[in-house]
Amino acid sequence: MAAPLEPLGDPVGSPVEVQPTAGVGAKAIQGRSLGQIAWMRLKRDRWAMAGGIVIIVLVVLAIASVFLQKAGLLDIATPHQNLINVNTDAPTGFFGGISLAHPLGIDPQFGRDMLSRILVGAQYSLLVAFSATVLSVIIGTVMGVIAGYFGGWVDTVINWLMNVFLAFPLLLFAVALTGVVQSIPSGSAFGLSGNTLRVAVLVFVIGFFNWPYIGRIIRGQTLSLREREFVDASRSVGARSFYVLWHELLPNLVGPILVYSTLLIPTNILFEAALDFLGVGLRLPTPSWGGLLADAVNNQYYSIDPEYVLVPGLAIFISVMAFNLLGDGLRDALDPRSR
Amino acid sequence: MITFIIRRLISAVLMLIVVSMATFAVFFLVPRLAGQTTEQLAAQYVGRNPTPEVLHAAIVKFGLDKPVYLQYWEFLKTIVAGENYDTGTSLAHCPPPCFGYSFHNQQPVWPQMLAALPVTASLAIGAAVLWLVAGIGIGVLSALRRGSWFDRAAMSAALAGVSLPVFFTALLSLALFRDTIPLFPDAGTYTPLTENPAKWFESLVLPWVTLAFLYAALYARLTRAGMLETMNEDFIRTARAKGLRERRVVVKHGLRATLTPIVTIFGLDIGLLIGGAVLTETAFSLPGLGRFAIGAIGDQDLPEILGVTMLAGFFVVFANLIVDILYAVIDPRVRY
Amino acid sequence: MKRKHTVAFIAVCAGLSLAAACGSGSGGSSGSTSGSSASFNAGMTSVVNASNHKGGVMKLALTNTGDSTDPGNTYYAFNWDFSRLYARPLLTYAPQPGAAGLKLVPDLATSLGQVTDNGLTWTYHIRSGLKFEDGSPITTKDVKYAIERSTAYAPDVLPNGPTYFKQYLADPSYQGAYKDKTPDKMGLTSVDTPNDTTIVFHLSQPFSEFDYLATLPQTAPVPPDKDTGANYQTHPISSGPYMFKSFNPNTGFTLVRNPNWNAASDPTVKQLADEIDVAYNVSAADVDSRQFTGQLSMDLDGRGVATAGRARILGNPKLKAQSDNPTTGFLAYFALDKQVAPLDNVNCRKAILDGADHTSLQTAMGGPIGGGDIATTMLPPNDTGYVKSDVYGFLQNPHGNVTKAKQDLAACGKPNGFTMNVSVRSDRPAEVSAGQALQASLSKVGIKLQIDQFPSGQYYTNFAGAPAYLKSHNIGIAITGWGADWPSGFGFLSQVVDGRSIKPAGNTNIQMTNDPQINAMLDAAAKNSDANARTKIYTQIDQKIMANAEILPIVYEKALLYRNPNVTNVFVDQAYGQFNYAVMGLAN
Repeated sequence: MAAPLEPLGDPVGSPVEVQPTAGVGAKAIQGRSLGQIAWMRLKRDRWAMAGGIVIIVLVVLAIASVFLQKAGLLDIATPHQNLINVNTDAPTGFFGGISLAHPLGIDPQFGRDMLSRILVGAQYSLLVAFSATVLSVIIGTVMGVIAGYFGGWVDTVINWLMNVFLAFPLLLFAVALTGVVQSIPSGSAFGLSGNTLRVAVLVFVIGFFNWPYIGRIIRGQTLSLREREFVDASRSVGARSFYVLWHELLPNLVGPILVYSTLLIPTNILFEAALDFLGVGLRLPTPSWGGLLADAVNNQYYSIDPEYVLVPGLAIFISVMAFNLLGDGLRDALDPRSR
Repeated sequence: MITFIIRRLISAVLMLIVVSMATFAVFFLVPRLAGQTTEQLAAQYVGRNPTPEVLHAAIVKFGLDKPVYLQYWEFLKTIVAGENYDTGTSLAHCPPPCFGYSFHNQQPVWPQMLAALPVTASLAIGAAVLWLVAGIGIGVLSALRRGSWFDRAAMSAALAGVSLPVFFTALLSLALFRDTIPLFPDAGTYTPLTENPAKWFESLVLPWVTLAFLYAALYARLTRAGMLETMNEDFIRTARAKGLRERRVVVKHGLRATLTPIVTIFGLDIGLLIGGAVLTETAFSLPGLGRFAIGAIGDQDLPEILGVTMLAGFFVVFANLIVDILYAVIDPRVRY
Repeated sequence: MKRKHTVAFIAVCAGLSLAAACGSGSGGSSGSTSGSSASFNAGMTSVVNASNHKGGVMKLALTNTGDSTDPGNTYYAFNWDFSRLYARPLLTYAPQPGAAGLKLVPDLATSLGQVTDNGLTWTYHIRSGLKFEDGSPITTKDVKYAIERSTAYAPDVLPNGPTYFKQYLADPSYQGAYKDKTPDKMGLTSVDTPNDTTIVFHLSQPFSEFDYLATLPQTAPVPPDKDTGANYQTHPISSGPYMFKSFNPNTGFTLVRNPNWNAASDPTVKQLADEIDVAYNVSAADVDSRQFTGQLSMDLDGRGVATAGRARILGNPKLKAQSDNPTTGFLAYFALDKQVAPLDNVNCRKAILDGADHTSLQTAMGGPIGGGDIATTMLPPNDTGYVKSDVYGFLQNPHGNVTKAKQDLAACGKPNGFTMNVSVRSDRPAEVSAGQALQASLSKVGIKLQIDQFPSGQYYTNFAGAPAYLKSHNIGIAITGWGADWPSGFGFLSQVVDGRSIKPAGNTNIQMTNDPQINAMLDAAAKNSDANARTKIYTQIDQKIMANAEILPIVYEKALLYRNPNVTNVFVDQAYGQFNYAVMGLAN
């Protein structure tokens, strides 16, 4: 329902108009490419740059945590029962048990290190969000370009298909599908097992049902590009459809694809969190941000151990905000009119 | 115009059939792909004594032994013709559209959904009023005072609004305004409008605000962007040149053009929401369609899952249809 | 399983603050609350807020929908307790706090069963002049019909309840009331109704604890002409103080006073509140918040408050004084499946018992108050046959004995440990936590566990209760919980250690105990009419199971129950391990 799909409504409202010829740059003394212009604009947007920097830091941390975990420096599983109040489950230490050994405190009930859990959680949250986005973008672009370029009955069919997908109660489907596949025990399905299987299912469910949003935008873009002179020119010299699609249309679609990918990632982070809230997530004790927040919310830990709610809540909030800021900035940079 | 509407109607019905087929395929096939046998599927509905005879009786009763196309056909038949159900003492008949009998509690699905619908509708419509007023109002003001202190504050708040999971804001609002400061002590205890309008209102204020916060943020961003674009258009310049007053230019020309695309999105959003505001209903314990659906999924109750998916799909398709027709009426450029 | 139970809290009746506690069970006529009654665990030994004040709307809530409001179709403990308000069984437990509440007393019947024919025939007489809510008379034919239509004989229509009657009565091939071809549907030959107030049960084998079966809601009368089969749950015809006014399968139901109920005929229940509302599907967090603000009279489920609610109660002396912490009669344990190698070797099983960190398991289950006391035996302290013993020294080494566990592994021939899967119910956070706690503690001795989560709706039918499934998926450890269906060792053990009760699906003997000696001991106990001799047998069975390391007991479960100060006549009914819902009222 609302939350996960929400920001997706946004792009439809103000489609990006990418200028195919570098009109602004042509007048300058030395010609600048579209990308350079966009980059210049983006650099001036302080908020977007801040978002970008946060994202880079996040990604670096997530990747670093993979190695730190392998090196045994991050421990997501070992409980520290002695730091927990047995009757209330809350950490006994200051604000969620913050100490030198546990800079972000420990989780209630078990006393596992929160810093390790939040870092490892970043791996999974970002992995799922990125991969699902890539899947949506690939399907959406292919379908959108085909529909927009060929038109006619192909367009009608694909357009109709997109409407069908939009009519699905997406979140229900996601919960049901993930739930069913997750009840497949330690064994395996589709040649995968354990967390790999779960990540694959999450990526598939989130990515596969989201493609029509991207598809619609790309189709619109393709429709308008198709009528441009440079496409006509290419066709008039005998270029085949595939060549025109690959060499003429696609490069001009990179802008909008980039913008909407950036805006789709935060949606997918929230989507994964929503699935966790509704009870489908990774294999324990593996954490994800959504899983940590859902655990805190579902067990009402906010009254016992507010720090436990705050840490994953802030992690999600900051990263979603960063992606949104960067996405907005990219859109503005690529589309001078929307400022 | 008439042919246009008929064409859209046919397309809508087709769409619903595809939705039902896909839902059926997913819930029928995925458990089997995951390796569950017919006996295992039936075993969830027969209590704690799944003897072979009892299992067999359940399989026959729910028709699990029939091939998939026949089961699907039976499902369609119940929507059109209703279904008979053996309660042990008599044959109960539920009239169409009955969506069959729940495997889990042996009650017809349709009345259960009808009971849940007003809850979700109350939630969705109330929230929609709030977010339309707040979102569009803030969006317009922001656009008109671009770069001002107000614009920046409103847009930052809007960005924060779309960056928080709704279940998080919901629980926060409950903790703050019900448990800590008991402004709405009855939040989370739904009372039907027909029973006590004041209590109905009180029980829904927090869910409305929570849900509307999310959507208002989105609509404010949309309106602002649309408004900025529109106000740069030639026809606005023409209107100003004609000497119209600014207020008239903004409301009559600017806002009108901005709102057209927003209507499309609103149609989709409200359609999706009435089909079940899963997260909000779960967080606030509202007994609406979303919670009904989550319960159905938890029980793996196929008739209930199919029913609620179809109903949710219906609302989206129906809302789309209305939007299309509205569009055709208000926008002369639409060809039909 | 679902059925939660009993407490033999060693409560001494003398010297309690309220006379009502051990005496007649009826309180004073005023609704005044004496200060001394509102203290922590006051409801364990006394009736708190004893009052006969009438009026008010009792608001109860459930986090789910329960299994069924149909008395013939329920296995939930709270339902066995609560349904007495509209469906009176032949016998019930004395409505008194403390151990006195374990005593059987007549409800519909005039006395306990009369045994003849070497224990094969049990006869009950019911009170005369009893009426259903519609004014029609209640006869023993309605009781017989109720048994014929219950899960015991008609599981195809009403699947959820217990099946003891089919197991012990002489006519096991009877097909149930709904397939009964006799004209008045009285085809069950093992139950006779010589007249309207007499009912005679003929058993296939002597069963000395048959009186407990007469407390089941399945013995509550159902008028054959008003039975609507699967739909009866929407309006069971009342024989008790309240009757159904409305019912919605997803949102709950409302009970109102039954004008045809006669208080003089029914000393075990009270008709105080004007109306009783039960709300379904309220989130657990919400149930607790609303209990504390007083919008909810009580949580009907009786499993106690959740984590946050517990912290709130324990952190606030005023709230703590309004709560009780009974043991529920439930044992939480890991069943060690002997058919999954290397658990076929007793030493490998012992390694799990020795290596487990009992404190962290207890914390996972909710700590000493929310979870319960660390368990060292199979029988919980409240069932007859429990004798305190701790052969593995769980209490001396609450964090586990790694050295001993490694010795066990060496003796088992697996000095480096082994890999195995453990199953838990995904929708039970405490079990998920316990799985993680076991995983963490056993990794120290080299036993690597993977946690498999299954939905509780299918846990016994398809996963933990399906021996073939466990074996083929290397799930050697399955978390489960068990409470006796009646407060005796037999009520606890017969379904979980009898080798003949192993089933391919819906199995509750998950550890696959199949010892001819134990089977014979159970048979001997069923026949023995000497209660003390029976108790000794139960103790021996418990000790055999523990010596053979077939299960890893976790906790004797406890629940932290909140007592709304506005609710009157509140006490813990030890037979059900939760408040007695049949006598409660409201102060205003």
